[in-house]
Amino acid sequence: MAEDKFQQAEVADLLGVIERLAGELSLSEEPARFIAALDDAAPAAHGTSAARGSAGAISGPPH
Amino acid sequence: MFTLAALARAIRAGKISPVEATRQCLDRIARLDGRLRAFITVDGDRAVAAARERESEQNRGVWRGPLHGVPLAFKDLCFIRGLPTSCGTKIADYFRADQDCTAVTRLVDAGAVTLGKLNMTELAMGAFGDNPHHGPARNPWGLERCPGGSSSGSGVAVAAGLAAGALGTDTGGSIRLPSAACGITGLKPTYGRVSRAGAMALSWSNDHIGPMARTAEDCALMLGAIAGPDPRDATASPRRVPDYLAPLATPVSGLRIGVPENYFFENLDPEMETGVRAALDVLRSLGARVEDVRFPDPQTMSDVTNIVSRSEATALHGHLVRERPQDLGPFTRTRLELGQRIPAHDYLQALRLRARLARAFSESVWSRVDLVAAPVIPEPAPPLEAALDGSVEEITVRQGRFSRFTRPFNGLGLPALSLPCGFSRAGLPLAFQIVGRPFDEATVLRAGHAYQTVTDWHTRSPRLD
Repeated sequence: MAEDKFQQAEVADLLGVIERLAGELSLSEEPARFIAALDDAAPAAHGTSAARGSAGAISGPPH
Repeated sequence: MFTLAALARAIRAGKISPVEATRQCLDRIARLDGRLRAFITVDGDRAVAAARERESEQNRGVWRGPLHGVPLAFKDLCFIRGLPTSCGTKIADYFRADQDCTAVTRLVDAGAVTLGKLNMTELAMGAFGDNPHHGPARNPWGLERCPGGSSSGSGVAVAAGLAAGALGTDTGGSIRLPSAACGITGLKPTYGRVSRAGAMALSWSNDHIGPMARTAEDCALMLGAIAGPDPRDATASPRRVPDYLAPLATPVSGLRIGVPENYFFENLDPEMETGVRAALDVLRSLGARVEDVRFPDPQTMSDVTNIVSRSEATALHGHLVRERPQDLGPFTRTRLELGQRIPAHDYLQALRLRARLARAFSESVWSRVDLVAAPVIPEPAPPLEAALDGSVEEITVRQGRFSRFTRPFNGLGLPALSLPCGFSRAGLPLAFQIVGRPFDEATVLRAGHAYQTVTDWHTRSPRLD
């Protein structure tokens, strides 16, 4: 019973956050815009591609 | 104790053979893992056979890649054909996939030798590293202390020298928490940088696979092998994988490093704060411009991430509550039950909010600085018994507190590197994290490497023999 009340309280807290903020979302906001946000904030791609696991990539002095 | 990169160089130079390196790890596992419980499955015979094959290849001048002959171990949620994948549950074969975990395959293709599968918290839930079925992994710096979770075995195995490196996964901090608690270096890459195919999902929106090793250079070496697109994982980014090793030598002078003036230093253990601030001084002495920056409310991002994680975890694993509740630990069962109480509407609103919060973070933080530095854990690893004392509710609150500095960066999807930065008076590791722009692991690793070039915290090893 105590566990049940705790879960209810925890969920209520979390859903309260959603209720508080969701009203500020524009209709155009959708989950896929998260990936776009990552891409937009990424630095411009460097021209330094290296094949994955390419041999000879070990460099620097030993620790 | 060799770093992964130093071991790879020594093997290449013929100073140590793949079989010798593998046998050394297996000997340490045999000697120490009865106490440490880092492994769920040790695959000794196949490891030696693979090492012999690498040695034979080496003798014929065949070089698989930069990890040729390097012994690694993998969290027990990475599917590897022929080995059980319990995901920390009571069910030995809980997770199966059509093909081996892509990240593991790529490491093996780069020459790595698989030692076995590592302990973890049940279903990758939980911040402390306990496990009701396999026993808790033990922190090598204090056997009664939390190793951190959920990639507990990965943290312990690397810290104790049982493996040169490991894979962990991070949904709310599960690479960085054990890295911090065990005094090693661990990287949660950008969301989508590393394929998650063949690894058990906990929350497909927040899961990340990443390297755990002794140094930033080690992590760079492993990341270079595992990063990149994968047709088996639609969320794996098509972005090209840069060379993570070459830029490590570039000085950090002029880099702008933001230190959050809100949230991250509130209620922080004084010794931890001293260690983190000292690390910032080191970066400043290397020419970085360290400045305060205000974060858009990290607690909100943490709450939103929680709603998403719990909903998705229950969608994936909630059947266990219905079908085999007796096989679940009480904490995991409670977490899965909680997810059933979150309406679909709120889950979707959380995903929409996440997108907006990620943009707000970029606009207010990345417009001012190149990197962010912050604590990883609020205190040095607490005693496991105290962390797990009391009711499930009390433990849940403690878990949330212990992971409150890591979880926001899962929701934001940003690359974050945990590094050791000292020791408490009780001899426990202190740690800080360097966080970067999306897909800018190169700058994160560069700053971490620069820090480790002038400090020696990462070279310390616990006394176990």
